Amino acid sequence: MASYDLNEVLKKRAAQKEGMAAQTDGSLALDDVSRVKVLSPGRQVFKRFIRNRLAVCGSVILIIMFVFSFLGPFFYPYGQKQIFYKHDKQNVNYALAKENTAYNGYEIDASLPVERNIINAMNSNIKKMIEAGQDELTLPGEGVSYLIRKEIPSVYTLSTMESSLVCSAGNSVVKVGTYSMVGKKLEFSVDEIPGLADAAAKEVKGVSGSFTADGVEYQFTRGEKPKTYDISCEMNGIVYTGEKPGDGFEKALDTALSSGSSFAFEGKQYILDIKGSRTDVYEAGEPAAARVFTKYTLDTYESGVSLPDDFRALALMAAVSGDSFTCDGITYKTVPENEAIIILDEDGNEFAEFNSFSVRRYSGEDTMSYALKKAISAKVEEMLLADVKTDVMTAEIPLQEEDGSYMTDENGEFVLSETEMKITQRLAGEYVINCDQINFIIDIFASPSGTHVLGTDGDGFDVLARIMYGGRISLMVGFIVVLIETVLGVIMGGIAGYFGGWVDNLIMRLVDIFYCLPSLPIMIILGAMMDAIRLDTYIRLMVMMAALGLMGWAGVARMVRGQILSLREQEFMVATEATGIRIKARIFRHLVPNVMPQLIVIATMSLGGVIITESTLSYLGLGVKHPLATWGTIINSVSSASAMAHYAFIWIPVGLLICLTVIAFNFVGDGLRDAYDPKAKR
Amino acid sequence: MLKYTIKRILYSVIILFFVMFIIYVLMYNMPMGYIETKARELASRPGATKSYAEWLADLNAQYGMNQGVVKGYLTWLKSALTGNWGDNWAWTIPVTQEFHNTVWYSFILGLVSFILEIIIAIPLGITAAKKQYSFTDYFTTVVSMICISMPTFFLATLLKYIFSVKLGWFDLSGMQGRDYMNLSEFGKFLDVAKHFVLPAVTLTIISIGSLMRYTRTNMLEVLNADYIRTARAKGVPEKRVINYHAFRNTLIPLVTTLGGSLPHLFAGALITETLFSIRGIGFASYNSMIQGDIPFIMFYLAFISILTLLGNLISDLLYAVVDPRVRLS
Repeated sequence: MASYDLNEVLKKRAAQKEGMAAQTDGSLALDDVSRVKVLSPGRQVFKRFIRNRLAVCGSVILIIMFVFSFLGPFFYPYGQKQIFYKHDKQNVNYALAKENTAYNGYEIDASLPVERNIINAMNSNIKKMIEAGQDELTLPGEGVSYLIRKEIPSVYTLSTMESSLVCSAGNSVVKVGTYSMVGKKLEFSVDEIPGLADAAAKEVKGVSGSFTADGVEYQFTRGEKPKTYDISCEMNGIVYTGEKPGDGFEKALDTALSSGSSFAFEGKQYILDIKGSRTDVYEAGEPAAARVFTKYTLDTYESGVSLPDDFRALALMAAVSGDSFTCDGITYKTVPENEAIIILDEDGNEFAEFNSFSVRRYSGEDTMSYALKKAISAKVEEMLLADVKTDVMTAEIPLQEEDGSYMTDENGEFVLSETEMKITQRLAGEYVINCDQINFIIDIFASPSGTHVLGTDGDGFDVLARIMYGGRISLMVGFIVVLIETVLGVIMGGIAGYFGGWVDNLIMRLVDIFYCLPSLPIMIILGAMMDAIRLDTYIRLMVMMAALGLMGWAGVARMVRGQILSLREQEFMVATEATGIRIKARIFRHLVPNVMPQLIVIATMSLGGVIITESTLSYLGLGVKHPLATWGTIINSVSSASAMAHYAFIWIPVGLLICLTVIAFNFVGDGLRDAYDPKAKR
Repeated sequence: MLKYTIKRILYSVIILFFVMFIIYVLMYNMPMGYIETKARELASRPGATKSYAEWLADLNAQYGMNQGVVKGYLTWLKSALTGNWGDNWAWTIPVTQEFHNTVWYSFILGLVSFILEIIIAIPLGITAAKKQYSFTDYFTTVVSMICISMPTFFLATLLKYIFSVKLGWFDLSGMQGRDYMNLSEFGKFLDVAKHFVLPAVTLTIISIGSLMRYTRTNMLEVLNADYIRTARAKGVPEKRVINYHAFRNTLIPLVTTLGGSLPHLFAGALITETLFSIRGIGFASYNSMIQGDIPFIMFYLAFISILTLLGNLISDLLYAVVDPRVRLS
């Protein structure tokens, strides 16, 4: 069955008729219907509206603005809270060069225990030895004694030896006995001294004191038990703890005491521990090297080779003995040099070097090439000679890729490039080397470029993305607030205007009160209060919109009431009364639609105002809060004097956007008013 | 007339009563324990003369915060009416003294921009109306629209950027230059005046637009009136028509609105003063609001409300005074 479209058929017939009429007559009569084009009121308003150039301009701007902020984010690749990073050159502390003064220890024989306090005191002991010009230092002790020996310059060994106390020489305080006050008895702990008991009975009283008997001075102090006193006297001579070594020992000891050094007697080694006027003499066993200490650091000629501490210990010991050493199956040879030890490998090539000037990356890693280390130390020497604190040098360092990794050639070697380095003396003998390196950092305040059309802000957010999302919120706030205002205003104004009398009076006084309320201060106070209770950003937004709406309805209500007061007296309202339409319908079906034109105009005009208020509050930091973007917060993020001066590319576009939007709303509002009421057009 | 005035004043007092009540309710509902926190803070401040308990009792007595809202409000109202506005929390000086210290700067700033506004906006508005639909008219319309649509903070920042940062003519903010103390009396005056230039310009630009539009609209209305046509028909010179017949009638609404805005010269420009750090009442109140300084906020809001009501009253009365056709009843 063929379809039959009545509309199409009628249209065709009309066209046929018209064509015939045109052919027959050729001109239209004055009252011909087709001659007078009748427009609906809506079309008429529209026609008048688009004749207004400024209004059309405003509408176009608004449409663009809406598309930009509501559709833009769907097509724009970045989000409002997306942080951007970049690789960029930063002047960093590249390396640290310093003259080593501290000695580091390496284990030679791990089976030999060394007390921790001895290791900790090594640096100060070595310093003491250097000051005194000693080559050896013994640290005697009961059980184990230690020996520090300078082997070659800047290399010291720490040896342990078994030891035991033989005797004490010189002045030593010896306890003579215990005197008891009860029985007036003196109990001797050494050989009995005649006459001492009587002397003690005469003199001992009080807490402590001294007395003389037979020309010897005795000291007494309170003893452990009550009413007892310990009596002691200073004895000069040699007191043996164990068995006495053979004859002639004392003679040997005397010579040793006068020189203060250790001595050998009958094949045994004795060491002295001089404590003031007393000297303890220990018998010591064979010293066994346990640790080796050096202030040298090891630099390998090939960069990036990491060597174990064992290697260092072996190399140092080999340098001491002048031998070669074997580590991991490879035999190395050491060649001592002035202030350095050079290590040769099996083929006689230079493999590594011990020296006292260490150059390391600032992080402490040993990844720099030997040539660079040498260049830096040469430069530092030059600086020392010239007596300057800072200097600049160019050296080849590994080149970095855009993403911060190091560039390598086909052999896996680093590609080097000439880089300017600045050397600054920080402390005596300590130098910091600065140069530019590519680092991964947050891309803040990037200038406008291809990837970020309006640059990035202080948090590394893309400004254009934030403007889009900010526009959403700013426009949405405007619309919602105006909606609240209008609804409240229409209801209150409608009721007041329709009923009149005391209702009108009451509502109008309420309007007066709300007119009088200072809205900006109240919004600021609200914002500060919400700050105080740390309200969630989205809830803040709601509260803000509600508050703005509540404070803005008075104007709408006043206008609606005025209009309704005059409309109420018109015939069609009499007709609604006569036909008995419900009051609600009379107000909202018959009166309010007549107020619609003015309502639309007033709403459009106030949209701009609300956007300004919202952005002002956000600018002050009292509206929408930071991570959420609105036009106000974007400007707020660069509101400090320096940011404002340097990052105009952020706030100027946003500010212009606010202006443009508000202007557009005002133009459209103006145009609408003129279109609805051409008589009022000025 | 007198009866009308008295009636209006009474109305205003009632409105003020309720406005202050709303503001008081807002203050009353400040986050919990606010008074306690504030009292503790005030008592622990160096040089504090009162203890925590004393401050708490003081504050509660002052604002009646320990009573119900209505009773508390009446307590506050009573002390306010007897002139006891309390001590400023942020500066610990009497509120009225702080008001006295700041209000004159605001007034001077407001007055200067008010005069500038009148000088610029009214002639421009009249010119635009005289040549309706000309280029001048469109230009004026667009310019006034831009002025209306400009957020204060953006304009202020823009002016700072151009004149302080780029051209270096003015300081970024503040009221005194660096060597203010070494200047002579006249030099000090000039220094402060120089710092007032940008704020005054900002305020003028912001307010110029609406006055310009208002003037233009009223002038157009007058120019379309019958008596102007009559004057022209009589052959009165165009200059006299505009300057004598039309302008004088345009002045009627202008004088009433401008007269109504006179009290607001004292209200201070909150945003502008804050952005330029002018120690006016707007800046002071902004700081008070941020710090939750209830005594000063209450005082300031009461002050502003009074000014608004006063402005309405003045403009209504002026309307009757300027235009003899209007009879108040």
